Amino acid sequence: MSWASDYLDEARAAIVGAGSLQDLEQLRVGYLGRKSPLTLRLREAAQLEIEERAELNRTKIHLEDLVKTARRELERVAIERVYADSAVDVTLPGDPVPRGRLHLLTQIRREIEDIFLGMGYEVFEGDEVVDAWSNFDALTTDAGHPSRSQNDTFYLSEDVLLRTHTSPDQIRLMEARTPPIYAIMPGRVYRRDTPDATHSPTFLQVEALVVDRGITLADLKGTVLHFFRQLFGPAREVRMRTSFFPFTEPSVEFDVTCFICDAQGCPVCKHSGWIEMGGAGWVDPDVFRNVGVDPDEWSGFAFGLGIERIAMLRHGLPDLRLFWENDLRVLEQF
Amino acid sequence: MKVPVSWLREYVSFDLPLEELGRRLVFTSCEVDRIVPRGVPDVDGNLDRFRVGRVLEAVKHPNADRLQLCRVDVGEGDARQVVCGGWNFGAGATVAVALPGARLANGLELEQRKVRGELSDGMILAEDEIDLGTDHTGIMLLDSQLEPGTPLGDVLPLSDDVLEIETGYNRPDLTSVYGIAREVSALLDVDLAPPPGRDPERAGDEPVDVRVEDLERCPRYIGRLFRSVAVGESPPWLKARLLGAGMRPISNVVDVTNYVMLAFGSPLHAFDHARLAEGRIVVRRARDGERIRTLDGTERSLTPEELVIADAERPVAVAGIMGGEETEVSAETETVLLEAANFEQLGVLRSGERLRVRSEAQTRWEKGVAPELAEQAAVYATQLLVELAGARWTGDADVKGAFPERPVVRLRPERAEQVVGIPIPADEQRRRLMRLGFEVSDDWNVLVPAWRASDVRREIDLVEEVARFRLEEVPPTMPERTAMFGRLTHEQRLRRAVSDVLAGCGFVEAYTYSLQPSDPDPSALVLPVPLSEQQRVLRTTMLFGLVRAAQHNVDVGNEDVALFELAHVYLPTDGALPLEPWRLGGIARGGFFRVKGVVEQVFSMLKEEPRFTAAAHPFMASPACASVQGGWVAQLDPRLLEGEWAAFELDLAELFAQVPERILYDDVITFPSVKEDLAFVVDEAVPAGELIAAARDAAGPELREMRVFDVYRGEQVGPGKKSVAFSVVFQSPERTLADDDAAVLRGRIVTTLRERLGAELRG
Repeated sequence: MSWASDYLDEARAAIVGAGSLQDLEQLRVGYLGRKSPLTLRLREAAQLEIEERAELNRTKIHLEDLVKTARRELERVAIERVYADSAVDVTLPGDPVPRGRLHLLTQIRREIEDIFLGMGYEVFEGDEVVDAWSNFDALTTDAGHPSRSQNDTFYLSEDVLLRTHTSPDQIRLMEARTPPIYAIMPGRVYRRDTPDATHSPTFLQVEALVVDRGITLADLKGTVLHFFRQLFGPAREVRMRTSFFPFTEPSVEFDVTCFICDAQGCPVCKHSGWIEMGGAGWVDPDVFRNVGVDPDEWSGFAFGLGIERIAMLRHGLPDLRLFWENDLRVLEQF
Repeated sequence: MKVPVSWLREYVSFDLPLEELGRRLVFTSCEVDRIVPRGVPDVDGNLDRFRVGRVLEAVKHPNADRLQLCRVDVGEGDARQVVCGGWNFGAGATVAVALPGARLANGLELEQRKVRGELSDGMILAEDEIDLGTDHTGIMLLDSQLEPGTPLGDVLPLSDDVLEIETGYNRPDLTSVYGIAREVSALLDVDLAPPPGRDPERAGDEPVDVRVEDLERCPRYIGRLFRSVAVGESPPWLKARLLGAGMRPISNVVDVTNYVMLAFGSPLHAFDHARLAEGRIVVRRARDGERIRTLDGTERSLTPEELVIADAERPVAVAGIMGGEETEVSAETETVLLEAANFEQLGVLRSGERLRVRSEAQTRWEKGVAPELAEQAAVYATQLLVELAGARWTGDADVKGAFPERPVVRLRPERAEQVVGIPIPADEQRRRLMRLGFEVSDDWNVLVPAWRASDVRREIDLVEEVARFRLEEVPPTMPERTAMFGRLTHEQRLRRAVSDVLAGCGFVEAYTYSLQPSDPDPSALVLPVPLSEQQRVLRTTMLFGLVRAAQHNVDVGNEDVALFELAHVYLPTDGALPLEPWRLGGIARGGFFRVKGVVEQVFSMLKEEPRFTAAAHPFMASPACASVQGGWVAQLDPRLLEGEWAAFELDLAELFAQVPERILYDDVITFPSVKEDLAFVVDEAVPAGELIAAARDAAGPELREMRVFDVYRGEQVGPGKKSVAFSVVFQSPERTLADDDAAVLRGRIVTTLRERLGAELRG
């Protein structure tokens, strides 16, 4: 054992054991200061063997590192003690910053718009007060169709009414544009329904219209499937059932597998595994003729669904009227 | 429509399970809401516990006056003792018996038990207990020829299933059992039985006086006369069918008309011929003020819009809607005039709306029934009246107008694949169409059957007929694109941005009704027939919907209410249709400046400078109101909403029109700015905005910013005066402004403000 290593062992034990910054400083002066045995010995360096001198220098550096490390540790402990003494109650609330919200229906509407924008569609918004031509006649809805009745529709005059669906936008769009058309049409629609949990005289629909060459019902199914997988998750499936709408031929209803129970059967899907989502079909050639689109060249599909229905299904709202009451306790949940 | 499956099987036979049939019909034909068993449950040999029995002995129960104690032979050798509450039988009667363990129609399980001390080892059945009627006044009496012990299911329709379906507006043919059977036949590619009914021999040649004055609304009227009619109860099978289909049995004559309506979808009616004045039928428009008491007991007043069936004197039925009470078939009726007519759909629809009534017949006429079916219906009903009511058919009239033409449509079989996206073989298409009653020629000219003539007129309609049977197999594909869109318009993007700013400012978006109880604009569009007084006028302003929404929140105890809405208003024009500009409206608890601050944020996002001017509110009294580009900001009169509230409304088109197309970089870094504070003493009446406007005029673009940071009133400035302090930033994009330059600018501002507005710089 050399003198240096004995010195190091003794100093290390003392430094590591230092209980305060003050003690540490005293130890530093004692072991490394100008009058410390180590310094004094180094002064005699000239008389020492090169090897011993090197060892002394290494010991000095080593001790300096030890002091530095010990000081950092003691400082850390000291500051933590200070902070601990002045502990802040971090469970108190943050400073209030008022934050508003978009209405749930707007949030869903944007979600739908974004899905279709991603599929290369445009968003078209037409008027809500329309003539009977664009709401019924152009859509080949004959005079006897129940939807034309005063009992179902808000008329302003014999020829002017509050649109009963977003489909007059199809007419407006096709009149204004040449195909190809890929568009969705969201907006308010009006029906003479007495308000209750599932009916409202005003509600929101979104409708899609595609006009292009060689469009088939398979394209409709694929598009609807993609849409619902985006909206309700990748495991969804869709099916089409026969139906009737005046302006599509063939007409179908489409259902999506229940996303609440994963099609296992639950009250929401009435234990069928399927949820009815809306109506659709292949655009009736007479509708094309009515707006000057050649049905021999162009074909298309259209489908529509209710925005409130999606909101109610997905978020479990029990009553359609909640959307129109604007109670902050409801709106601020979303 | 409720379809008893036993009835369906009479016209088409199928092996696949009922659930599977229902599932497939959903794709191809109609909604199947559910499949409901009716009658006694057909499970665990339950039907074996129902037997024909013969009463060997029936005496009063020793301990109960109202009960009989019977011994009944049910083919077991030993007779069973049964306690029974019915008294409409005695020894020798042939009855329906349920044995212990049997489950009745209501689900109750029968047990052997003691009734007032006497063992009852079974039950003698009344018709309601096995769902064969609604009567419980006595037990059912069966044909005395029947052997005791015969399974009851062999002689009575004990058990059945019912398909509950919903049919579309375009498919009148599906409001009939035979029509559903036709769908099943096409779906499964199996034979359909010929339509039931065959005319019996006519027992006379009496004239039937039928006159049709309006052949458009009544294109056909078959009137048949029946004498010696024995009005009574219908046999159990007929009652069971009607009950299964959701109709109440009434009497054999009425039941036959209902039964045949359900079979073919073409409604019928039976009149008591003796009560028809001069035995005559006149189909005509009602005379103004004529009245009729219909079968539902309602006295109805008629107008010439209504088509009626009248006798020589008065209306006896509203055509297609409901018969009248006075000529109703009753127990005393001996002569029946059977009506198998056809009524045009729109006329019935409008009459139904006017009279506010719904009937089974009406729902069929409204969908459009083919006049050809009236004859089928007349024939089948005739056969049944003769068979079931012992009637003699003695007279016949058939008055007709023009029937709708049956279209002939050319079909290109390859068209189906272009529509559906999967190949459908030509022979499959041909077979399917023929099963549905279409006649298909070798070269694909297709004659449409009468019952589809209104709905199938074009090639695409035929394509649907073949396509709907393959919908389940259509794969999902995507259109091949040659053009892309995929972006919101500039205006749509701005609208989203505006909503986001409002939400960021703490406002919650509301949806309020376009239809409001009232509107400040006297020319606002009003619904002539509103649903309620609350939703009557198309709004020209967003304000009142928001006020109501705010009030609702106050009422339910919500605090710090701040709402906005972005939607249409409806501005009347000279033309038929209004303008529908997008408006942004907002309302918040708090003062004018809370709301103004939010409006400033909207302008800031749009990179526009708002110009607020004191102005009268366009339609209401307001304690503080400013106009700004596109609209207004106002403190609300507390009579409108209690407490301190302010609101705003902005026309978005007007705002968006001024949005700069692109924002150019402004060099604010190269040359430093000079900041100073300036305060001016000025008359109280001078708005701060005018001071700023004048300063801008004076200093030009090098006055980069001028903001009010304090307004002081008090002794130091004197009465009628105020001191307005501004923080001012001078900056030039071209050079560094020296102190001298700033002094020059300041000097110009001071001079101009003094000269124009009498403002003095405060030292």
